[in-house]
Amino acid sequence: MAELTIDGRKVEVPPGTNLIEAARKLAIEIPYYCYHPALAPVGSCRMCQVEILDAGKPPRVTIACRTEATNGLNVSTTGKDCVAARAATLEFLLANHPLDCPICDKAGECDLQNFTYRHGNGVGRFSEPKRDKLKHEPIGDHILLDQERCILCTRCVRFMGEYAKSPSLVVAGRGDRNVIAIFPGEPIHSNYEGNLADICPVGALTLKEFRFKSRVWDLDTEESVCTGCDRNCSILLETKRNRLLRVRPRVNLAVNGHFMCDKGRFGLLEAYNPQGREELGFVKGARVPAAQAAAALASTLTAERGKWLVILSARLTAEELLLAKSVLAPLARQLAYVPTSATDGDGILYTGRAAANEEALERLGIAPLAEEAATKLLAEPATSGLLAFDATLAARLLAGAKGKRLALVDVVRDRAADAAAAPLAAEIFVPGTLASEKDGTFINFDGVLQRARRAQRWPQGTVAETALLQEIAAAAKQELTAFARKPDLTFALLEALGQPGATLAQIPEDGLRLAPALEAAKA
Amino acid sequence: MKTYLSNEFARRDPLLLVEAQAKGRYQQAKRVFTSLTPEQVVDEVKNAGLRGRGGAWFPTGIKWSFMPKELKGPSYLVINADEGEPGTFKDRQIMEKDPHLLLEGIMIGSFAIRAQTAFLYIRGEYLTAHDALATAIAELEAAGILGDSAFGSGRPMRIVLHRGAGAYICGEETALLNSLEGRRGEPRPKPPFPAVWGAFGRPTSVNNVETLANVPAILERGAAWFKTMGTAQAPGHLLFGVSGAVERPGCYELPLGTTARELVEKHAGGVKGGKKMRAFIPGGASTGFLPPDRLDVPMDPESLRKEGTMLGTGGIIVIPEGIEIVDAARVFSRFFRHETCGQCSPCREGSAWSDQVIGRFQNGEGRAEDFALLEDIMRGSKQRTICVFPEAFAGPLGSAIKHFRSELTQVSAQRAVGRAATEGTALHG
Repeated sequence: MAELTIDGRKVEVPPGTNLIEAARKLAIEIPYYCYHPALAPVGSCRMCQVEILDAGKPPRVTIACRTEATNGLNVSTTGKDCVAARAATLEFLLANHPLDCPICDKAGECDLQNFTYRHGNGVGRFSEPKRDKLKHEPIGDHILLDQERCILCTRCVRFMGEYAKSPSLVVAGRGDRNVIAIFPGEPIHSNYEGNLADICPVGALTLKEFRFKSRVWDLDTEESVCTGCDRNCSILLETKRNRLLRVRPRVNLAVNGHFMCDKGRFGLLEAYNPQGREELGFVKGARVPAAQAAAALASTLTAERGKWLVILSARLTAEELLLAKSVLAPLARQLAYVPTSATDGDGILYTGRAAANEEALERLGIAPLAEEAATKLLAEPATSGLLAFDATLAARLLAGAKGKRLALVDVVRDRAADAAAAPLAAEIFVPGTLASEKDGTFINFDGVLQRARRAQRWPQGTVAETALLQEIAAAAKQELTAFARKPDLTFALLEALGQPGATLAQIPEDGLRLAPALEAAKA
Repeated sequence: MKTYLSNEFARRDPLLLVEAQAKGRYQQAKRVFTSLTPEQVVDEVKNAGLRGRGGAWFPTGIKWSFMPKELKGPSYLVINADEGEPGTFKDRQIMEKDPHLLLEGIMIGSFAIRAQTAFLYIRGEYLTAHDALATAIAELEAAGILGDSAFGSGRPMRIVLHRGAGAYICGEETALLNSLEGRRGEPRPKPPFPAVWGAFGRPTSVNNVETLANVPAILERGAAWFKTMGTAQAPGHLLFGVSGAVERPGCYELPLGTTARELVEKHAGGVKGGKKMRAFIPGGASTGFLPPDRLDVPMDPESLRKEGTMLGTGGIIVIPEGIEIVDAARVFSRFFRHETCGQCSPCREGSAWSDQVIGRFQNGEGRAEDFALLEDIMRGSKQRTICVFPEAFAGPLGSAIKHFRSELTQVSAQRAVGRAATEGTALHG
């Protein structure tokens, strides 16, 4: 470890740590633009200037991002030379900046704004005509480029090359004609485009999906987990009046680092603002309140004990799966899940397996059942129907077992890609909830259990899955006292997974790494 | 006075290999390759006190001694022939008239740093020089001097000629390396220095054309001879360029420490048309303006540093009476604004902003507070960027303010009157 002094305070960091990160450990802000913890430092924005104090020598101004912490180094972030240097850099960056903050999406979370307040001069002396450059120019499926707002930190250029492995952005021109640009006629084509809006420290790269939707300070932000694939990237869900407006990655070095993919980012934006959502239940074709549908399901399962095939879904939280296993296994002909078929991942974050919580299903010992086998089982005369938690899968299974009854718990009654096809005729439909509408945990393919916080409210009258399962248990005269005595369901879940000791509130922000599941237990 | 750099400069066509060999050329390179060690060559150059003629005046032998002695993989000599400093045209003379003088220096330099490949990066606009070098390299290859066994020493030697694409910044050695590799010509942050991480990530020494052209003579006549010329700290001759308003502009080989007055008045024939001198630039655009009362300062790095400027490339530009300093300064501020690579915020914005501000003085709109603004722009960018480009654009700007401040104000005020008159604005009443 290297022990150094920053602003008179001692800090220990691993040798090689740069001064920005060392200062961060002391909660001392060294402002920066071109530096990004996930990218190689270039040292060109000149915002992170600090002073190195060496006894007997005048203070030496240098950049923190490319200065490594060494034993005995004495650093000042408040010396007059470095304070003046940072203010000068800001004055330069602001000289040609359009200052259109009132109509800029980035306002409120803009590093140019923030650092100007904290490190700037407070007055502008630039009285020349400002440069004209391209504005709101689409450069990909999701990103618009505003070259006038750009401060040329080149994070975006380096991100596309270093991280997204798709070097599609360049600095074109020279000197004050420098601009960020795509190659002519070759827009960005990448699964990581959305990250550009996050890493851009100013409002130069904005998301089409978020433009002019909200001021950022009006957003409600909750920590959550992406359910787009079984990597379960740590994310933030940002809503306004219960509508999900933006999805952003949150730093979790154990899971996703600093970024997330577009399949997740824009997939969730659609999934959590679902089209055609049903708020009422259905029983035998008649629209009924959700509670009545729930009661119908409870009584059917109880009356026809041992006759329904129950297929659980990886969209449910681990707690819901635990409860479902406990309540439904004694009532079902068989309780199982259909493993999601894997497609190719992208070699970066996206795994290609759209099965957010399949690891939980596996670890809870719920039986995997191939789609074919499930259809066969459903078609058997001894099976009277299918209880499914996913409309898409239900449609596929029923297609091979015509005439079987269906009970469905999902947010929509049908998710058929083919609108002309006959709608899924569920005998009982109980409107379900979205993963974003409840507190719970997800376990990724790597065994990291993370908490997703409730970011949206479910529609009034909804009988959420947990309540539905409790109602079924009550109808079946099951005792749930084993759970009732625990602090919460998460505590019970961790016990069931063989790693007791934490409640939902005690799950760390970056998750809990579970011990590898025993192969025997998995099988 | 006996010259050793410019003997062939009066020629029309470049000296050919057979002619060069008849004059005893390549004997030193042959001696080096067949009977000396790299250490002996480095020591001789170090003892001679040869310093880099590209403008930084760093001791060449010491630079070479930074190169690793034990090598796993290749190392390179890169020749900076991207001569772009306004007022500078000395390397061009060598390459156009006497390419073999440079090429022999390259061979010896490569040997000294254990490099078997040299990359000669030549300014894109230097077509004549490029063609002369291409021919000369082909001659050497045909003669078996360059190739798998230079001078039968068993040691391979190869020179790759590479044309730049016309950017001033590529004369900065690490920007040159990036450009050579096919990247944007932007200076690299240092450390690592080229001796550790240079061309294609290999140990590299970057040397200027004229510097290498000095090497064969040093090997031939010895360090002691070399030190008899020039000053104690900067021995040898320099190819001084004199341009601007003089009777005989040109490239003059004289010992370091020769005064600007001798160069301008004796060799270049004085200010054109017998006019008075308003100012002169001692060593290329970035060294800025000096008033005529500094003409007796010796032209060597140390003497000019004491004047608050630099020797740079030794390219003198003479500005006569009748040319306003503000106009001359604007020419340079436009040039530097155009040529900054733009990666560092202070340089990109500072070079453009200062150009706009000096433009105000030029257009009769200069304000008293603009001097402080210009000073702040320079203070905010000098020593605050990856390379020393801000020092370059601050050269003409800072010296114009330092030596010609009242003239700037006066010219701006005069032109304000002119503007008002042409715009029909009433000045009084």
